[in-house]
Amino acid sequence: MRKGLTMLLLVLVIAFGSGFVANAKVLKIAGLEGGWGTAHWEELAERFEAAHPGVTVELTIERNIADVLRPQIIAGMYPDVIYLSVNAVGGLTDTLIKEEVILDITDFLDMEVPGEGVKVRDKIIPGFTDTLITNPYGDGKTYLAPLFYSPCGLFYNADLFGEGKYALPQTWEEFFALGETAKDDGIALFTYPTAGYFDAFFYALLNVVGGPELFNRAMNYDVEAWSSPEATRVFELVGDLAQYVHVDTVAQANAAGFTRNQQLILDNKALFIPNGTWLPNEMADAPRAPGFEWGFTALPKLTDDGDAYSYTFFEQMYIPEGAKEVELAKEFMAFMYSDEAAEIIYANCGAVQPIVGGSDLLPNDDANKLYYTIYDTGAKAAMGGFAAAPPVPGVVLAAGGEDILFGTVNSVVNGDTTVAQWQMDVIEAVGKIKAAMDAQ
Amino acid sequence: MKHKGLNLFIYTCLAPAVVLFSVFMIYPTLSVFRMSLYKWGGLSAKRTFVGFDNFKTLMGDRLFLKAFQNTILVITIVTIVTLTIAILFAYILVREKIKGQNFFRIIFYIPNILSIVVISAIFSAIYAPSEGLINGLFRMLIPNWENIQFLGNQNIVMYSVIGAMIWQAIGYYMVIYMASISSIPLHLYEAAEIEGANRIRQFFDITLPLVWDTVRTTLTFFIISSINISFLITTVLTGGGPNGASEVFLGYLYKQAYTNASYGYGMAIGVVVFLFSFLLAAIVNRITKREVLQY
Repeated sequence: MRKGLTMLLLVLVIAFGSGFVANAKVLKIAGLEGGWGTAHWEELAERFEAAHPGVTVELTIERNIADVLRPQIIAGMYPDVIYLSVNAVGGLTDTLIKEEVILDITDFLDMEVPGEGVKVRDKIIPGFTDTLITNPYGDGKTYLAPLFYSPCGLFYNADLFGEGKYALPQTWEEFFALGETAKDDGIALFTYPTAGYFDAFFYALLNVVGGPELFNRAMNYDVEAWSSPEATRVFELVGDLAQYVHVDTVAQANAAGFTRNQQLILDNKALFIPNGTWLPNEMADAPRAPGFEWGFTALPKLTDDGDAYSYTFFEQMYIPEGAKEVELAKEFMAFMYSDEAAEIIYANCGAVQPIVGGSDLLPNDDANKLYYTIYDTGAKAAMGGFAAAPPVPGVVLAAGGEDILFGTVNSVVNGDTTVAQWQMDVIEAVGKIKAAMDAQ
Repeated sequence: MKHKGLNLFIYTCLAPAVVLFSVFMIYPTLSVFRMSLYKWGGLSAKRTFVGFDNFKTLMGDRLFLKAFQNTILVITIVTIVTLTIAILFAYILVREKIKGQNFFRIIFYIPNILSIVVISAIFSAIYAPSEGLINGLFRMLIPNWENIQFLGNQNIVMYSVIGAMIWQAIGYYMVIYMASISSIPLHLYEAAEIEGANRIRQFFDITLPLVWDTVRTTLTFFIISSINISFLITTVLTGGGPNGASEVFLGYLYKQAYTNASYGYGMAIGVVVFLFSFLLAAIVNRITKREVLQY
């Protein structure tokens, strides 16, 4: 009797269970829990589920998402959407790009943003899907979709600048002159959180000195571009800047100490720090000098009639090869560019989607507004990064800090490496990567 | 017949351990050796056999040699200093009657129950240039004190890491040595005292020879844990910086295998680490071999 009852129960469970599985679809989204938190993902998932009956969104948003996903991917269990940027710790996205196992999503750009009658392609701010980050192989095909953009530039204490105080430097010459003045006042001109923050800085500087042409050639591993007089000028500018870096910077330029470098700005011990718009939020609870007010500017120009640049940092999401619900994943990604989603995201965490009119969502009295209007006030935008290249064992050119291009800044500041040696090391590494690309 | 039954019983009892050991130790180790011969990103099925190319590249890799150098420095200094201090503290705490003996035992052991991340955070605060404990102390005592850049100066950053490692390790080894020293019969010390041997003489002629076997065992521990813990501490404290100055074996392995998508190359580093630690342990074991003293 009892046995029969158990069997019946078992049959029922299996019947119902399989019935549910047959009707239901599960969209697996895995992503990084960074400074933005997770609340917006949860709300986005709820809205998406409401609009797609029978679909369950399974969220895995973790701080160590690269470590979580790596074994799963090796075991053949792929999420449908991954939100993790190039250069993030763990190098998972970079590896997937190098291994060419990310789906081409060019057709997704022609999908309609749900309920808006406009194509994704037209909703995304022009330029964002033409970069070497979104199209890593430079073949005109898009593999990674941009999200959460943030202008990068130099942050400072606005209270120290203005009438009767320091003048905000417009050119590099004025910038270094201010360095001398500030030195006499016991303030360092410059500090940086970690050497990794030089990526946005360096990319913008390549544009300042050599325009987009130099930048694009450099990002495509053109050895001549890296050894050109313009590139030399870029290295030298950083070398000159090294003379004005706050003395404690290098010792604190690591995961455990970078906020102490950011604190130098709040304490009026250093004037400028390269960073992104998340900085004020990150330091929201930190003590500060009386009257402190965040200021934000693009990188100085080379000459009065030159161009000022601000690098636009953005994050990425993509569909790995092996994802089960590809169409559903694309629908979710299209939904991410709707006004509805952008509002949810901004309201929950303050991140701004790269959609036309996205920064209009910011109320006028919002401090963030200042940062997003940087391109309206004369600065040009620089975007993208290095093209995808096959890995060269032992050669880490640019990987967010401890690498040849940016990590060496610490040595230049310490005086352990000369600017010329630094440039030569970079040229050598670029040459090796270029050779590996050509051999492919 | 009876003999056969006994054999079956022995094999059955051994089987679980042998299977587990093979699956989780022998197979992965052999895999490391096999994968070191491939060019592979680690995530896809695309891999190319490249023979010993990874090892050839490794021999000319300046950063790897730096990491190698740093690891040897860590193993040497951490072992010598920790062993000396731990055995001395153990001797004092067991043999001498001092006030607050239990208190010291607990204090010395505390670093061991803290996670390495916490220890790294503590030392990040201790070493900080302007707000740090050490520089702050010196600034108080010496006017116009110029901050020591413990984690910024490429010439001293490795010693700063070593400092944290020694602090972390002393308690653990001290407890091992204490257990060993406590088992030495008291009458040996009493006899030595009657013969007129002072404390130092007693330490070198009785304590040290009688705990020598324990010391030898811990030497192998030192080699393995130095390689592992230096990776954990540098990951949090310095990230291997500034500019690779505090890079160690496993940190470099991780960076190459994951960040640089060169998994095969990373495994080649793994093979070198494996052979190096194995060889070093064997050499240390051989040169420290003494006649075992009975009491």
